[in-house]
Amino acid sequence: MGVVVPAGQHRRPTGGAGLRRGETSPLAKVLLYGVLVLFTLATVFPLLWLVINSFKTTQAFQMDRLGLPERWVVENYVHAWSIGEFETLILNSVVYTFVSTLAAILLSAAAGFAFAKLRSRWTPLLHGSFVIGILLTIQSIMVPLFLAANMVHLYNSRVGVLLVYTGISLPIGIYLFTAYIRSIPDAIVESARVDGASYLTIFHRIVFPMTRPVAATLAIINIATIWNEFMLINILVSDDALKSLPVGILRFSGALSSDYGKQFAALVIGMLPMVLFYLVFRKQIAKGVSAGAVKG
Amino acid sequence: MSYSARAETRHAYLLLALPAVIVYLAVIAFPTVFSFGLSLTDYKGGPLFGGLNAIRFVGIDHYVKMFGDRFFWISLQNNVYIILVSVFGQIPIGFTVAYVLYRKLVGMRDLFQTMIYLPTVISTIVIGVLWRSFFSPYGPFTQLMELIRPGWDNTLFLNPSTAMIPVLFVILWMYTGTYLIIFLASLQKIDPQIIDAAKIDGASEWQVLGRVALPSLSGVILTTVILAISGSLKSFDLLFAMTAGNPARRTSVLALYMYDNAFRGSPDYGLANAVSTFMVMLSFALVLILVVLEKRWGGGE
Repeated sequence: MGVVVPAGQHRRPTGGAGLRRGETSPLAKVLLYGVLVLFTLATVFPLLWLVINSFKTTQAFQMDRLGLPERWVVENYVHAWSIGEFETLILNSVVYTFVSTLAAILLSAAAGFAFAKLRSRWTPLLHGSFVIGILLTIQSIMVPLFLAANMVHLYNSRVGVLLVYTGISLPIGIYLFTAYIRSIPDAIVESARVDGASYLTIFHRIVFPMTRPVAATLAIINIATIWNEFMLINILVSDDALKSLPVGILRFSGALSSDYGKQFAALVIGMLPMVLFYLVFRKQIAKGVSAGAVKG
Repeated sequence: MSYSARAETRHAYLLLALPAVIVYLAVIAFPTVFSFGLSLTDYKGGPLFGGLNAIRFVGIDHYVKMFGDRFFWISLQNNVYIILVSVFGQIPIGFTVAYVLYRKLVGMRDLFQTMIYLPTVISTIVIGVLWRSFFSPYGPFTQLMELIRPGWDNTLFLNPSTAMIPVLFVILWMYTGTYLIIFLASLQKIDPQIIDAAKIDGASEWQVLGRVALPSLSGVILTTVILAISGSLKSFDLLFAMTAGNPARRTSVLALYMYDNAFRGSPDYGLANAVSTFMVMLSFALVLILVVLEKRWGGGE
């Protein structure tokens, strides 16, 4: 928050070199701007470089890896799109992201309601084990997940991927929903009970609609996570028809890695959806990330 | 509560909580326990029971093998490097930038925040391939260096002792924004009147930083250190896309070491599961530390 004391009020004589209220010396200001501009350039330069070079032919790129293209080659995108089968990849990514997010919201809201408003001696144990899951690194169980999926024939299966994506979204989802539903006054649930409503009706009609803000937070965190997820789908799926965007992009770094023009075009196609999503929802993403990262 | 009401509560509880619990057990809890079990056997894939080869119990053999493998230690060492980059790079930079933005010491704050956070939302695979091309001998980094030092030979990714440097740089570049967002959110929870009062009493910006902001964020700073350690255990995608652990597995991390043992060459699931269990134990240790810290600091945030 900025200091909004009207000028002239509360002013005391400045002693020595003491700086007053948010006013920084010109030198410090130049330094601060310098550092921040440097950081901004560090983000913009590589991304801009990628976009510019995605319009060069591979030969033009090899001649000059820094400058602007003499001729802007749009064909890179056309070729990359058809080689990468991007319509399959994007469709799969959309299905995985949205179905698992929806499932995670429903399951977390239902369990969160049970943990927050229904009395049971199981709640501390169950809720506690979900919360532990927030810090458990999924990376550490990648191999057993693969072996388990194989055993129950959920390898190379859309259902398997969706099940895993829903499962890894639950810890943070249950944490957020339980905390939010706890803050809803008990009286709302009690009075509906007195009116003869069942718990399921109360959840479905009263509580679930009230959790819209936390559902939005979970959706934002989840969309960003699942859309970019690579490690799990890479081991759960080998069928090209089931692959998602990140797995598909890696095609361009294998056999095609020396075909820079197409590779860069593929990278741009790969990053564009999330960059747009971020620019639209950046406030909500920031809120979601801090809510998810620093629990409590 | 009457008997029937209690029964209804129990039914509703089961109906509402059970789906989430079952999915969680199947996806997270079962593999964790399963992994520990398998790490003690010579399981080589296929069905658990009735397969061609009966599964033998081998005790801690795989753990002995893991701790005796130099690539395990190289991977662990790289995980530690990543933690160090977070603790001494991302966290202080993230905090400083968050403080500057929070105190409105500069303009265009929205732009700066957006740009510093942007790399975090892009697919790690895209980032990995992008920077690999950028630092490769055929990339623009070489061309830039040749301008400064003509005839410079780019062996960054070929030389085992330098291959981690670009990786660590990219990690710093990618995730500083996360810490910025966390610190910014926590700073915004400080009662602005406290800072106003301090400024009115003639406190300098350094005093506000040192006496108000830092102390009230001590809990969050500790949490971010824990996050940095668990984040290091999570590193996989970037290395997979950027170096694949090369050259000579010098840029491997624990997760990649586990992956290599299970999926590259002849599978050694026993060893991979031992690594998995080792990583789960590290995660649990972190949770414990966090719980203890939260008790001590009273979960002030």
